[in-house]
Amino acid sequence: MIIEMARLRIFGPRDRLGDVFDVLQDLGVMHLAEPGAPAPGVSSVELTTAQRREQRQLRRALDHVDRALAGLGLRAGPAVRAAPRGTRSDFARWARLGWRVRRAVDRLAAREAALQEERALILKYQQFFGAFRALLESQSRWPSATAYHVLLRSGETEALIRLRGSLRELIGDAFELYSQPLPSGEIALLIVVAAPAAPQVERILAQARVQEIPVPVSYGGGALTEAIPRMLARLSDLPTELDAVRRERARLGQEHGAELRRGRAGLADRLAELDALPLSSVTARAFVIEGWAPARTRPTIEQRLAAGFGDAVVVTEVGKEDWASEDAPVVLSNPRLFRPFELLIRLLPLPRYGTIDPTPFVAVFFPAFFGLMVGDIGYGLLLGVLALVLRRRSRPGSTLRSAAEIAGACAVFTVLAGALFGELFGDLGRRWLGLHPIAFNREEALIPFLILAVSLGAVHVVLGLALGVAANIRHHPRHALGRGMSLAMLIAIICALLATVHVLPDALVTPAVIVLLVAFPVLIFAEGVVAPIELLSMVGNVLSYARIMALGVASVMLAVVANRMVGAIGSVAVGVVFALLFHLVNFAIALFSPTIHALRLHYVEFFGKFYSPGGVRYQPFGHWTREATR
Amino acid sequence: MEAFGVVLAAALSVGLPALATAWAQSRIGPAIAASMAEKPELTTTAILMIAIPETMVILGFVVAVLILFRGAA
Repeated sequence: MIIEMARLRIFGPRDRLGDVFDVLQDLGVMHLAEPGAPAPGVSSVELTTAQRREQRQLRRALDHVDRALAGLGLRAGPAVRAAPRGTRSDFARWARLGWRVRRAVDRLAAREAALQEERALILKYQQFFGAFRALLESQSRWPSATAYHVLLRSGETEALIRLRGSLRELIGDAFELYSQPLPSGEIALLIVVAAPAAPQVERILAQARVQEIPVPVSYGGGALTEAIPRMLARLSDLPTELDAVRRERARLGQEHGAELRRGRAGLADRLAELDALPLSSVTARAFVIEGWAPARTRPTIEQRLAAGFGDAVVVTEVGKEDWASEDAPVVLSNPRLFRPFELLIRLLPLPRYGTIDPTPFVAVFFPAFFGLMVGDIGYGLLLGVLALVLRRRSRPGSTLRSAAEIAGACAVFTVLAGALFGELFGDLGRRWLGLHPIAFNREEALIPFLILAVSLGAVHVVLGLALGVAANIRHHPRHALGRGMSLAMLIAIICALLATVHVLPDALVTPAVIVLLVAFPVLIFAEGVVAPIELLSMVGNVLSYARIMALGVASVMLAVVANRMVGAIGSVAVGVVFALLFHLVNFAIALFSPTIHALRLHYVEFFGKFYSPGGVRYQPFGHWTREATR
Repeated sequence: MEAFGVVLAAALSVGLPALATAWAQSRIGPAIAASMAEKPELTTTAILMIAIPETMVILGFVVAVLILFRGAA
């Protein structure tokens, strides 16, 4: 549900404005509102030049601290609150610390990158040297020749043929070309040419865009045989140097990490206070702050302000008739069991304040649809294990934790549906364990499954329309009337259809037709001439739930095919491997496809009837926490 | 011959919408991937856009099932 908000107005003497902001920041429940139209003698607070300068300095300091923390790998640390409130000297100290640590961290990162690069280069040369060791060691025997070391990417054998052809065409036989595949898949080339032909060869190499690896100057340049021993000596030193860099980074983290985190929180708090100041209004002697807070927190706000300022600061509630509901921020609050499903609502823009939060309905129908589509005890248990692993590896309140809990609910419904259909890895349970379907066998009873799916669709769409009536009845009665007529006509159509196929008594046909005839003009009056088209699309919406049956049948058929592979392929062992692979593929499909289609059924068919997006996100003015930045 | 006609009708009723769905998704996929590269908040829209054409093949499948069952009866 969307929790009730109250619009509060806080008055007080102007010289206590900063202190009141401090208390509100400590409370962390008030979503500050933009000041309304200016009244005579009332103006918005404007930051002084000094405050604007402080704002800029704080932003810069925060950037340094953030980058220092990121460089030290401490961004994912626990949330920290700056307590007590930072002073000017604290801010200056944190700014200096952030700047100093950031520079040190940047230097360490550059050093580490250079060492890694050097290591990769030496390893490349080492492979090259290994491939042509004998030839390179005889380099001293061809003093009037120039050697080129070239690397070709794996599979570029055609480039090698072209290069050989070009060289022969240009300098005849005055070259030797040796090629050797490397363990990395690349091809090492050693090209030895007579010194006078060197410029022409360099041109060919440049045109062929091949990767030449000249001996680095830092190792003496010249002959590879002389450089390699120096490189190998350096290679043995590199791990020690890399370790030293890592140790230095760990030392910095240990020495300054806690203070940097405190600084991060303190700087962000002060910046939030400066950013909030222009949201208040002042007269010559008084101030006023307006904002939203959950209605249940109003007594707490009053008590805290009374405790701090006595009668000097007054809190009043703005009457509901004086504010537009779409301006109020939205906080979703649901029972623990439903809360993970708020994730699926947050994928869309939030619902407007005063409308319906669909989370409880999604929490029931989403796993039910998913379960009916997958409907297999084996896959359900696998999904349950996956959900448990994800849950153990995620932090409370994180997106991953919510996803794991949704997966858990889907797993439960999948197992239940699997028991209804008597499926355990397709027909394996039936063949091996004598499992029997409680409801029906999805392999054969396609029509009952189709009827079940479409019936569920009818219930879901009718529920959506009923919620549409409830959501609009107070503020948009005409729209609510239109939704109500659509609901009545949809039910009448369903009743008439069921009566014609003798599922319901035949006597219901006439009343259903009368309802249709009466409701039709009212519908056009309420919703306009497009209403009949929308009504038809609603019938289409109900039929769209047939996808539950289609995906369900596809899922069970794939599982059955997987099981038949054991007998179909000559060797039992090979058949079992293929069957397991096929089940794995089917399980992967079962994770994605039903999720997407269950989401679609909610977002398009269900939400389309009542959901009113465009709600404002609740961002209370408070202390910085890591969660606040998500 | 009649059985062949029933099977052919069922195959066409699922095959043609499948081709149509594939064509629609081949156009939607790259477009939505490009949009998501610029605006990652379009992920939900992407899911919907990809799933919407699949309705055709799903309804085609349902029709195929009905044809086959009527043929068998």
